[in-house]
Amino acid sequence: MATRKITFREAINEAMRLEMRRDPTVILFGEDVAGGATLPHMEGENKEAWGGVLAVTQGLAPEFGRNRVLDTPISESAFIGAAVGAASTGLRPIAELMFVDFLGVCFDQIFNQGAKLRYMFGGKAQVPMVIRSMIGAGLRAAAQHSGCLYSIFAHIPGLKTVVPSTPYDAKGLLSSAIRDNDPVMFFEHKLLYDMEGEVPEDNYTIPLGVADVKREGDNTTIVTLGRMVHLSLEAAEKLAGDGIDVEVVDLRSISPIDEDAILKSVKKTHSLVVVDEDNPRCSLATDVVALVASEAFDYLDAPCKMITAPHTPVPFSPALEDVYIPSVDTIVSTVKSLRE
Amino acid sequence: MSLTSEKMIDVYETMVKIRMFEDKVAELFAEGKVPGFVHLYAGEEAIAAGVCIHLTERDYITSTHRGHGHCIAKGVNINSMMAEVYGKANGACKGKGGSMHIADVEKGMLGANGIVGAGGPLACGPGLMAKTLGTDQVTVCFFGDGAAEQGTMHEAMNLACCWTLPLVFVCENNGYAESTPCSYHCAAKNISDRAVAYDMPGVTVDGTDLFAIYETAEEAIDRARRGEGPSLIECRGFRYYGHFEGDAILYMTEEEKEHNRARDPIDNFKKRGLERRLLSEAQIAEVDTRVAAIIKEAVEFAEESAWPDSEEVFTDVYVNYP
Amino acid sequence: MSTIGIIANPASGRDIRRLVAHASVFDNLEKAHILRRVLLALDAMGIQQVIYMPDYDGLVERALRGLKLSLKALQLHMDMWADERDTTEAARRFCENDVGCIITLGGDGTNRAVAKGCSSIPIVAISTGTNNVFPGMIEGTVAGLAAGLVAREMADVKKFTYVAKQLEVYVDGQMAEIALIDVVVCTELFVGSRALWDPRRIQEIVLARAEPDCIGMSSIGGLLHPIGPRDAQGMFVRLGEGNTSVLAPVGPGLISRVDIQDYRLLSLGDEVVLEPAACTIAVDGERQIEVYHDQKVTVRLTNHGPLVVDVRRCLQGASRHGIFKIKTLGHKFSGKM
Repeated sequence: MATRKITFREAINEAMRLEMRRDPTVILFGEDVAGGATLPHMEGENKEAWGGVLAVTQGLAPEFGRNRVLDTPISESAFIGAAVGAASTGLRPIAELMFVDFLGVCFDQIFNQGAKLRYMFGGKAQVPMVIRSMIGAGLRAAAQHSGCLYSIFAHIPGLKTVVPSTPYDAKGLLSSAIRDNDPVMFFEHKLLYDMEGEVPEDNYTIPLGVADVKREGDNTTIVTLGRMVHLSLEAAEKLAGDGIDVEVVDLRSISPIDEDAILKSVKKTHSLVVVDEDNPRCSLATDVVALVASEAFDYLDAPCKMITAPHTPVPFSPALEDVYIPSVDTIVSTVKSLRE
Repeated sequence: MSLTSEKMIDVYETMVKIRMFEDKVAELFAEGKVPGFVHLYAGEEAIAAGVCIHLTERDYITSTHRGHGHCIAKGVNINSMMAEVYGKANGACKGKGGSMHIADVEKGMLGANGIVGAGGPLACGPGLMAKTLGTDQVTVCFFGDGAAEQGTMHEAMNLACCWTLPLVFVCENNGYAESTPCSYHCAAKNISDRAVAYDMPGVTVDGTDLFAIYETAEEAIDRARRGEGPSLIECRGFRYYGHFEGDAILYMTEEEKEHNRARDPIDNFKKRGLERRLLSEAQIAEVDTRVAAIIKEAVEFAEESAWPDSEEVFTDVYVNYP
Repeated sequence: MSTIGIIANPASGRDIRRLVAHASVFDNLEKAHILRRVLLALDAMGIQQVIYMPDYDGLVERALRGLKLSLKALQLHMDMWADERDTTEAARRFCENDVGCIITLGGDGTNRAVAKGCSSIPIVAISTGTNNVFPGMIEGTVAGLAAGLVAREMADVKKFTYVAKQLEVYVDGQMAEIALIDVVVCTELFVGSRALWDPRRIQEIVLARAEPDCIGMSSIGGLLHPIGPRDAQGMFVRLGEGNTSVLAPVGPGLISRVDIQDYRLLSLGDEVVLEPAACTIAVDGERQIEVYHDQKVTVRLTNHGPLVVDVRRCLQGASRHGIFKIKTLGHKFSGKM
């Protein structure tokens, strides 16, 4: 398969483009996914004003037309609910919930409707939809536009939750998510959009629920995801200089979660650090630590460690936000502390 | 009005089925045979029957917590409904949904819904599907006066109008959101007035008058089918039972209950059908007997059905979950 | 004591014609605002008391909210049906109380229901319905001023009012209904959504007024031969294939071809025998009575309708007599015309 370097943003865009070409029932909607709907100077040629607030959906309206790429009013309940209804009656909608922090205004449609329809209807319905949403701190976007919150969705039976870390993974996982017959929450870290990576030109899928070992090592397992994968890899390079050989396991999907991959790695390295940008209570980090404590306790040479955001909202000031986000230095010192 | 003699007997049968089903469920609930929360539709039969008679199996409806009537009018199997209310394995949802979530997607019934106002956004989905795929399917969103005060209904009506979706919003205003009167909870007092805000037609009809509902719904559904967009019909009626079974209905006076009984949608329909000779006493008796047998059989079916296997707790969460 | 009765129909302006024609929703907030202007005008006119019909929307209460008025507003104590029976009952009570004037907000149907309860008290009729002939599109403030002039007997009722015509509908010899504008034989079997919009389902029309500049059934006759509110005439029209067809505005935005079999003018006192098969009889644009094969339906044109205030003439008279001049105002409206 021919590959070339493209950005994380382009990889996501490409996944949607190829899936929309492949399957006419795939449609995309959300706030400003095209922009400028019905304005005479844009509509005629399917021009777009924005192509998404951070340009992730650029070019899709011109290619597929506004019947398949629809701007919505700022009505998250209505259009997320419409996605659930459309998915259960024959479409494969991709709904863009701009920032995950907006879940509060439409959570019912996600967790009481989308997630539960199949179960409540005794398996006689399916809801093949994807909700794409931005996550993550670092853009100085303050408390209501910077959270991760993916743990909340992983908590809910009926939803799948995917958090890619590289352009290659993003494209393959999103293709899978669109083809999946269950509702999938697909989270994109805003600071990764400009990151480049080798990505095949063709369509391909990466199965949901399969972790990827991004760096092999024997001394300590770092279980992580999303943007934290890159911080962990950077820390691993530094630790390698000190003779500590870290294994970095990128979960990619947290529901389903690849328990085997976590346990296999911990059984090899005998210690665990979870690096997670989400808040710490009842979180992915605690979940992974609980798994290891109950299934691989005897293999551990040291207490499990969690590096997470603090139990606070995301602050605005750069001076504060930098403290909020887990850092490479913290990862390095934490891993080192295991050996003391 | 396209209400022929055959359709007259059809809608009569639908209404009687709903009434007998609900009366039976009330009785079974009182006997402790039905678990959980039960919200009964008796008194509102003309709405579901008068609207759904214009729909085909390919059309969709979204419903409410008071959804039995919608299910019956949309053709969901009575045995499977009763078994579902019991929580049995043969239920419409294998006993996993219960009264508040009876659904049959194959029949276009997208589920009774335990969340007040949730059906509005959901209804936009099949509407968008029909528009995207170019079919002539129509979706009807039933909601109550209580749901009218949810932001979701505002969002849904606005979105449906922005996208010119083939929808009909049918508000079943039975006068009370649980125990709180509409005169209190609805600042504008008239739910149909809100249609103006979304640039769609808004009509108020007597929710106990099958003929008025039939005629109005036909026009609204045809309009949606022609691609002319959504409309809002407010049906003003009442319910005989409480918000849920166990509700002592202290918020209604005896006079009000008496007034309601005088407006019984089935009695009035029957009377006028007989006067017009579009219905005969013999036909009515035949339907009454047949429906009574159907309900009796449904109860037997439900009682004889097995409880779901304990393994069923774990299935149907996902289509596929590794 | 000068007293005004108010009847505001909370249900008008919301029927099926929003679907089958192009009528607007007449929302109740607007009705409450009109009432507010009416009340302010009545207060300015020195009216001491307003009695009003209760309704499920509390229109008058909404209008009164936050207003500081000298007049007293009293709600009638009566049982409610939430249909036109309330209006008729309220009008009957106004008659008993001998109010000086009745202000109505509604359509032809509302005023018909008022006329059933009371025809001796002058009515100021404000249109808040769909297609109306009887009530006018009058600004509430002006309506209040005119009603005030009448109720305070500053305007000579004889000069500024007229007696409306009325159509009496008899079924098997019993008076079953009245109409102020039209009685129609419609082939629909049921009252249903009430409205009329399809001329193909209309067989016969009896008109008290035939107004070419109105919409609805009255326009059909009006386009054949205009008959105004004060003309001592009516009209009977039979629809169907004949020599004449008119293009008539039968509903809001709904202009249809109507085939006329024949028509004739009626004089006061004339009686028309209708030829309904199984059908409904509509009065003032709304299907009202379901009738059967064996029933005999006759309609008689009379001048026994309610007393109607001509608002325009009334205020023109007030102008001529200087009633609103500030000097006169200082004497608390002591003028007379």
